[in-house]
Amino acid sequence: MGEIRDPIHVFVALRPDEERIIGSRAFQRLRHIHQLALTYLVYPGATHRRFEHCLGVMEVASRIYDVVTNPQNIYHDSVREIVPRAKGNFRAHEYWGQVLRCAALCHDLGHLPFSHAAEKELLPEGWDHERLSQEIINGKEFESLWKGLKIQPEDVVKLAIGQKKSKLVFSEWETILSEIIIGDVFGADRIDYLLRDSYHAGVSYGRFDHYRLIDTLRILPVSGKDSQEPSLGIERGGLESAEALLWARYFMYTQLYFHPTRRIYDMHLMEFLREWLPNGVFSTEIDEHIALSDNEVNAAMWKAAVNSKEKGHTSAKRIISREHFRQVYEPSSTDQLKALEPAKKVYEGLVAEFGVDQVRRDTYAQKGGSYDFPVYTKAAEIDSSLALSKTLSQVPTFSIDRVYVSVTDRSGSERWIEEHKDEALTRANT
Amino acid sequence: MERLQRAAVLFVLNEELRKAGSWAGETHMQKATFFLQELMGVLLAFDFVLYKHGPFSFDLRDELTFMRAHGFFQLESQYPYGPTLVSGPKAELLQTAFREPIKRYIPEIRFVANRLGGKTVASLERTATALYIALREPAITDRVQRLINLKPHIPLPDAKEAVSEIEQIVRDLSDQKHVRQAS
Repeated sequence: MGEIRDPIHVFVALRPDEERIIGSRAFQRLRHIHQLALTYLVYPGATHRRFEHCLGVMEVASRIYDVVTNPQNIYHDSVREIVPRAKGNFRAHEYWGQVLRCAALCHDLGHLPFSHAAEKELLPEGWDHERLSQEIINGKEFESLWKGLKIQPEDVVKLAIGQKKSKLVFSEWETILSEIIIGDVFGADRIDYLLRDSYHAGVSYGRFDHYRLIDTLRILPVSGKDSQEPSLGIERGGLESAEALLWARYFMYTQLYFHPTRRIYDMHLMEFLREWLPNGVFSTEIDEHIALSDNEVNAAMWKAAVNSKEKGHTSAKRIISREHFRQVYEPSSTDQLKALEPAKKVYEGLVAEFGVDQVRRDTYAQKGGSYDFPVYTKAAEIDSSLALSKTLSQVPTFSIDRVYVSVTDRSGSERWIEEHKDEALTRANT
Repeated sequence: MERLQRAAVLFVLNEELRKAGSWAGETHMQKATFFLQELMGVLLAFDFVLYKHGPFSFDLRDELTFMRAHGFFQLESQYPYGPTLVSGPKAELLQTAFREPIKRYIPEIRFVANRLGGKTVASLERTATALYIALREPAITDRVQRLINLKPHIPLPDAKEAVSEIEQIVRDLSDQKHVRQAS
């Protein structure tokens, strides 16, 4: 068994044949995809790549699997029924453990250059990075790897992509396994990216006691809902570490992922790519996808930034020369109660005044559900996390709605907002 | 349907569920919206798959979070129950803006709320899964067996009851349509 040193998990253990996945072109490409796109222009340390994140997700997913399938950690017959190890089916236990590790390794293979930035706008209709991951996992390069490991690629796809994107029917067991990787609350993906992004960006908000969290994760019937359907939950003793994770997520959103300057760089990058890419979209041919990483895009941006005849010159210059648009408006709590969409009204007013090329609006609302998961209490009962925790229902739901303008129109825009904002917001309700 | 108009429909559905005795948490909203869209034909454009507790839409889950983020809903938790969705600080603005455009959906919303409002989560899970099978897998003749195959933790008598209930709801709906057409 091989080992790779890692700043977050100390060692990532590798099993035979997994090194062949890591050695594939598709996986090696992840060494050249920044985990946080252009965030390094704001937080210089955030230059880490998808490569080490995927190794980390495999390590965390594997640790979770060992904990939640341990028969001593299974308290209910309905759960015992679905966990192979609890029924003494060790072959199935080994099989699914290996599938889980491979799915965790491969879950981000389809990421475009600069990760999430502009994925929706720059892929043809019906495509996203999950579908590209699926194509790679099912593709020729991986065929012999799956044979060597004696696992079905469809099972890897299911756990790596999840039910939302794959649209396949999942068994209860497969649903739990997929949750271990990409789950909304305790997924290994989230555990790793919060810790890793926090470490590299140099912000401590993303840290939490993940050792305690992982040790206390359990498969439990859903709480207080008189349903026996199993779900990933936690022992009461780990509730505080779960709270810390979910608060960490909120702080990382506000401080890092949605930093105003980082977001406007994403927009400029998307505008550059739209001009630079053939037909304005990324190719969905797997060979072409693998051939394109941040390196090629970065080289093109540097070239375009200094030559006005190159495609995407204006956007590239805004990024390379730090001439990015500046934020001029984000609704206050008072403005929020004056109009349904106050930023939209300000944006429309500024566009009318300065032209559509000089103004940008960035709007986003958090995805995922509420933080409601089963908790196994000391009285051997199952409760809802939101009923037991005094803080989970208080974690704010994150959203942004911001307006940016070009550097040259900044002071004029600020003046316009001062003079016309109230009128624009009042007009919105008449 | 425009996004905020759709949010207004979901808001009214939540209110009507509450009036009909529902706890109106996220699971209740998921199942009621499935009925509203798939059975009643209200074009909300959510993509439902079979997931935890039966039909589930990840888009709808995100939409309910969007509505919380924008102050249309807020979560309220009351021990020992799970969280419920209640009216948020911007709910009135939403209602005022869309009261007229969504009036046409009120009969469908009330039909669903009255049928599902009194149900527990476990009962909603069974009934909604039975509807999912009836609509998405019409070729299957033994729907009770299919329901148990999909959700092994559901006892046989409960599965039978759920399948019969869906057949009854579909009959009632068809009768109502005939009455409306005749008048």
